[in-house]
Amino acid sequence: MSRPGPERTATGLAGLDCDPGETLLSVRDLRTYYESGDLIGGQPVKAVDGVSFDVKKGETLGIVGESGCGKTTLGRTLVRLEAATGGEVRVGDDDVTQLSGEDLQAWRRNAQVVFQDPESSLNDRMTVGEIVREPLDVHDWGTPAERRARVRSLLEKVGLQEEHYYRYPHQFSGGQRQRVGIARALALEPEFVVLDEPVSALDVSVQAQILNLLMDLQEELGLTYLFIAHDLSVVEHICDRVAVMYLGNVMELGPTEELFEDPANPYTRALLSAVPEPDPTAEIDRMTLRGTPPSPRDPPQGCPFSTRCPVKIRPEGFEDVDDETWEAIEVFRETLRARSRAERSLSEQAREFLGFETRFATVDEVVEELFADRELPGSIREPVDRATDLARDGDEAPALDHLREELGSVCDHEPPAAHGVDATARESRCHRHDDEYEEPAAVGPSVGDAE
Amino acid sequence: MSVVDDEDATLRERLADEPVPALRVLAVVAVLVAVEFGALANLVMSLPWDAVGAALPGFLQGAAATIAGVGDGLAGLPTLLSRSVIDNAGYQLPSGEWVGTFMGLSPAAAWLLRVALIYAYGFVWLLVGWWSYLVYRDNYRHADWAPVDDMVGRFRNHSWGLFGLAIIFAFVVLAVFAPALGPTTVDANIADPYLHSIEYYSEETGGVEEIYVGDANGESQSRGQGGENVGPMQYDQYDRFHPFGTLPSGKDLFTFMAAGARVSLFIGVASLVLAGGAAVVFALATAYYKGLVDLGIVIASDSIQALPQLLVIMLASFVLSGTWLANLYNGGVVLALLFGLTGWPGLWRAVRGPALQVSEREWIDAAKSFGQRPSVTMRKHMLPYVVGYLLIYASLTLGGVIIGVAGLSFLGLGINAPTPEWGRAVSAGQPYVATPSWHISLLPGILIVIVVTGFNALGDGIRDAIDPQSDVETGQQDQTAAAGGGA
Repeated sequence: MSRPGPERTATGLAGLDCDPGETLLSVRDLRTYYESGDLIGGQPVKAVDGVSFDVKKGETLGIVGESGCGKTTLGRTLVRLEAATGGEVRVGDDDVTQLSGEDLQAWRRNAQVVFQDPESSLNDRMTVGEIVREPLDVHDWGTPAERRARVRSLLEKVGLQEEHYYRYPHQFSGGQRQRVGIARALALEPEFVVLDEPVSALDVSVQAQILNLLMDLQEELGLTYLFIAHDLSVVEHICDRVAVMYLGNVMELGPTEELFEDPANPYTRALLSAVPEPDPTAEIDRMTLRGTPPSPRDPPQGCPFSTRCPVKIRPEGFEDVDDETWEAIEVFRETLRARSRAERSLSEQAREFLGFETRFATVDEVVEELFADRELPGSIREPVDRATDLARDGDEAPALDHLREELGSVCDHEPPAAHGVDATARESRCHRHDDEYEEPAAVGPSVGDAE
Repeated sequence: MSVVDDEDATLRERLADEPVPALRVLAVVAVLVAVEFGALANLVMSLPWDAVGAALPGFLQGAAATIAGVGDGLAGLPTLLSRSVIDNAGYQLPSGEWVGTFMGLSPAAAWLLRVALIYAYGFVWLLVGWWSYLVYRDNYRHADWAPVDDMVGRFRNHSWGLFGLAIIFAFVVLAVFAPALGPTTVDANIADPYLHSIEYYSEETGGVEEIYVGDANGESQSRGQGGENVGPMQYDQYDRFHPFGTLPSGKDLFTFMAAGARVSLFIGVASLVLAGGAAVVFALATAYYKGLVDLGIVIASDSIQALPQLLVIMLASFVLSGTWLANLYNGGVVLALLFGLTGWPGLWRAVRGPALQVSEREWIDAAKSFGQRPSVTMRKHMLPYVVGYLLIYASLTLGGVIIGVAGLSFLGLGINAPTPEWGRAVSAGQPYVATPSWHISLLPGILIVIVVTGFNALGDGIRDAIDPQSDVETGQQDQTAAAGGGA
């Protein structure tokens, strides 16, 4: 094997040498589950639950979503910091999740990460020079003198000075430390860089500098970025395409401009409506989502967003029920779900068993509060009463199943397929894109840059 | 700071570029070594080489014997601070004149002079160590500032830690220079008193007489009320000076203590190297791999910690007492092994927390992401954060080992008689605590207390120097972790 030196061009993995614009990575049905800590039983946390997308060479693909949606895990899986549970990540003919030996080393050389927290990503006991040099040492890059020269040029490239080589991370500000982290990620001339919220720990004034640095470097070195963020304005600024994640799934994926202008998926619409408006007098119709995201241990069976979706499709025969009553039913289901998730301590279980009061209100109290002053049609009354009976025994699962059977719609039963929503190869996963239903935009409040 | 033109120069090139400060340090070190070269060789030769030689295959034994011969020859070289240069053994003529002592001084004065010189010599070594750190920092290190500078700075302002350092320095000098510090030697006074003789002036015969040390010891016993007693800073009737008095057997207590310090230090350091090494390796492995590795070591260490340490050591040293192992270094090696094997779980528990903490930092992920080998990741990215805690707990534990060894010797287990050990002195003096011979138990007891306190103080100092608070993110947990093992 020839030693990779300063003049290295071949990457070692055939699929990485493709031309700009071609597909570099092709992720298919990728799943990453974390095993629960329990020795027996226990549901795994489905952090990434069946994700498919392509990354084109030279582009910046943004991954956005709220905390805990699995975007960081996705990035870590792509660089093999986490083991994938299923699915594949194709680079040419190789599957990244299955690489080993020399191929894995080649992938490690070509896929790098810039971490979120520059305080934690640099070893405080090493000088900046040693930190940036370490990847070169690991891959036996060039001679020691060439390595030192490369580190110096890298430091300069990311906007630091050569004499910072012998300084320690303690002596730098957050923005400078992030520059060191970027220099380390670029040391081996990678093709693909995962940027895991690279600016969210920085001051706003510094964020712009780092973002511009990243964009300049991409142009200069032909890098491909996977940009993970929760700050939508940053994503809009830097990304060519954006994937919106919710509960381990990609809900919508498309070119940044179109997606921000006219979001198709209800979740994207909710997310975009949460972007603060700099004008305090502006009247915005904010979409506030009910409840919290479901546990990734036990995601909903149908659409992942069905538990909170403001434009959820109603089952056949219930179109005429008034909105408030229907809302009460959804809240009832949400409450049961939250109760089934709550950890009961041993003493609480004992109290419950003995019939004492616990911190959990009884099911009857919940039903009383929700439905007391409402006229429920028989078709709703019956399933609610039946579910109440079932839940009274302290086991919410059968009650939830019953409600889903009786009052659930297509959103509760089937995971939505990807629908192309406009001419730009944009995809969105929502049952409302089916011809038989109204589009999400038609039923929800208007959202997006297009006013 | 000097200016080195080539930024890339290695340490060797930087040394070649500006050799003067380094050469100055080297010259001083050379002088310091030269004046004590014989003692150094002696120290090396006093290690249990016989056992090593016996373990070698046949054809190497010849070579080993040759080396041993050379070593013994070097050990015989004269040294500046030795007994033969500043001699405190002699006798007093009726005229008051001292014969045989250094420059005719009284034995007490000659001994004090020697002790003072030896401690001054040790102190110079300490200064040279500090000086070479400064020379390296100011002349040869590229970085203007390194995290270790802050730690050194904090330790310098930590008076309790400095007190501990002073105590430990005194103890280590006592152990290292034991043969030269005692008013007499272990060989002559304790081990083979009937193979050595001394001269004294006899008033009966009116002339200088010779007597076996063993016979002289019989006349210098400390046996409390009604019996004879040679207390601290007293002469016996053969004009021998006893800084700490004598033992009930008439042997010199200070010589006994100095040699005992060596044994204690050897056992303490050897057992901690063993236990600390195991603790660090296990801590890094468990923190890096977690899961089953962690579980396995947790179970192993819990099993060991469930046993009462001192009882197990007593049992094992009794079981092993007849074997060849028990004869190495008069039983010191077996004690070091036992303390090491039973001591690592405690140290491992103490450093496992910090190791787990550092294993969660993102630079470990970064190292994994570019394919760093696990062993290198542990060494470069985890060990520096763990080794400080190990130093703290090791210094705290060392006092415990010294007490443990003294306790075992007090009970008649542990170090084989007649090899000196502090605990045996305490034991020997026990019947005389309330008599004029109180010094036999009390002085070794006080020394044990002071040394153990010193090690604890040093551990405190190191802990504060590493200063968990400066590490903002993990500060709180670090501090509780570090405070937990102080017992």
